[in-house]
Amino acid sequence: MKTFGNHIRQAREALRKEDKSFSLRQVAARINVEPAYLSKIERNVFPPPSEEVILKLANELGLDGDVLLAMAGKLSSELQQVILERPKLFADLLREMKSAPDHAILRVVREVKDGNW
Amino acid sequence: MLELHQDKLVFSFPELHKDAVCHIDFQRTLRIPDDNREYPLPPGLGRFPLEHTEDHPSNLPSRWAEHGGVLLPMYQSEALWINFSGGYPCAIKIATGKINAVSGKQWTNDLVMKPQDYLVVPDQPWLDGYCVQKGLIRQFVAMPLGDGYTAEEQLTGKAEHGGLQIVVYPMKRVHYEEMMKGQSHRNHKDLCFSVHEMSAPSEMGLAPGGLMRQEIYEDEYGFDAWDLDASSRCFVHILNSDQWNNVTGKSIPGSPPSSVDYTEAGLPWFEYYDDKLKPLQGSTKLAGLDSVAAKTLKLGEKPMKNNEAVTPTKINSLGPNTAKVIDGKW
Repeated sequence: MKTFGNHIRQAREALRKEDKSFSLRQVAARINVEPAYLSKIERNVFPPPSEEVILKLANELGLDGDVLLAMAGKLSSELQQVILERPKLFADLLREMKSAPDHAILRVVREVKDGNW
Repeated sequence: MLELHQDKLVFSFPELHKDAVCHIDFQRTLRIPDDNREYPLPPGLGRFPLEHTEDHPSNLPSRWAEHGGVLLPMYQSEALWINFSGGYPCAIKIATGKINAVSGKQWTNDLVMKPQDYLVVPDQPWLDGYCVQKGLIRQFVAMPLGDGYTAEEQLTGKAEHGGLQIVVYPMKRVHYEEMMKGQSHRNHKDLCFSVHEMSAPSEMGLAPGGLMRQEIYEDEYGFDAWDLDASSRCFVHILNSDQWNNVTGKSIPGSPPSSVDYTEAGLPWFEYYDDKLKPLQGSTKLAGLDSVAAKTLKLGEKPMKNNEAVTPTKINSLGPNTAKVIDGKW
């Protein structure tokens, strides 16, 4: 399974082939981290960074923020908040949908109620 | 199955056919003058927002919760037209205050063949009002329930239901598949031209407004085409716009422009004709209703504001093969 570090390195280097501004040094500068730190993350020497840095990286590299966070073993604070507002409801829903195929999950719908009239 | 998606009602019958889907949304529009002159079709100015009734149980009359359905806000004297889209043929009954807008008869869930009390999509792309005469309708205009203006009150003497009622019957699968083999069929998908105290909430109903040139088409498929065992209904409760924020916590756009302002801005009105289809004759019951302007005079109320006649000079002609017009903002 691809690690977080490998994933962002591959994404960055694919972009660098077309555009030299995606060198390690320049990407690190744009997301406000030291190049050495970013290098160690890419080489899996350091664990994945904070949510804030991950989202900046996702934005820089054109990657999906939620997917990148998940690869880092994290859930965005926004989604955490959603779940924490109704934890039992969402926990039950997620457990029930755990093994459902993609199309079934995409079809989780809310029907308009038809009552007595 | 009925879903609410981006302010559209999505009626689907997946157990019948994967294509069996019909979309209905409600378009804001300007109120045409109510002066017994005939007007072309006004524009769509964006969809009315819709909310699930069951999401706001504590702020609404309990019988609304029993009805289920959705909520829709209207300014008093604002007008509305109903937009139908989707390629799968469906027979649709529309009523306001449980008075059928095509036949003028009291609501029943069943389709009635003679006189035809339903319209057929996709042949019928829109419904702007009550079918009063062949080729003429009276516009759907919002009025408070209880003041005597609505079609319901004029025909029944009671202000009981309000709102709009809808039931959709899809075409039988076997008819659809046969049709798809040999014939072209129309898809009016999004043929929608948009240019662009805590007291109890005020219940609103729909009343007949100005006269508009619009044909309601006869059922060309035949009564046997409809799957009478498959249907889906919706009760659309109309709430006064002043109370929308109180009930839902959401805001709505400002009121639409007057016919005069719109026409003077040089913006287009519309005509739609399908010469392959035969229009219904209209309902004598509905033709006998007083329009809002006529009722205002009879009740001795002050004459309506913003009811000056207009002469639309820019009229775009549309037909069943007109290409999709992209939604715009006005």
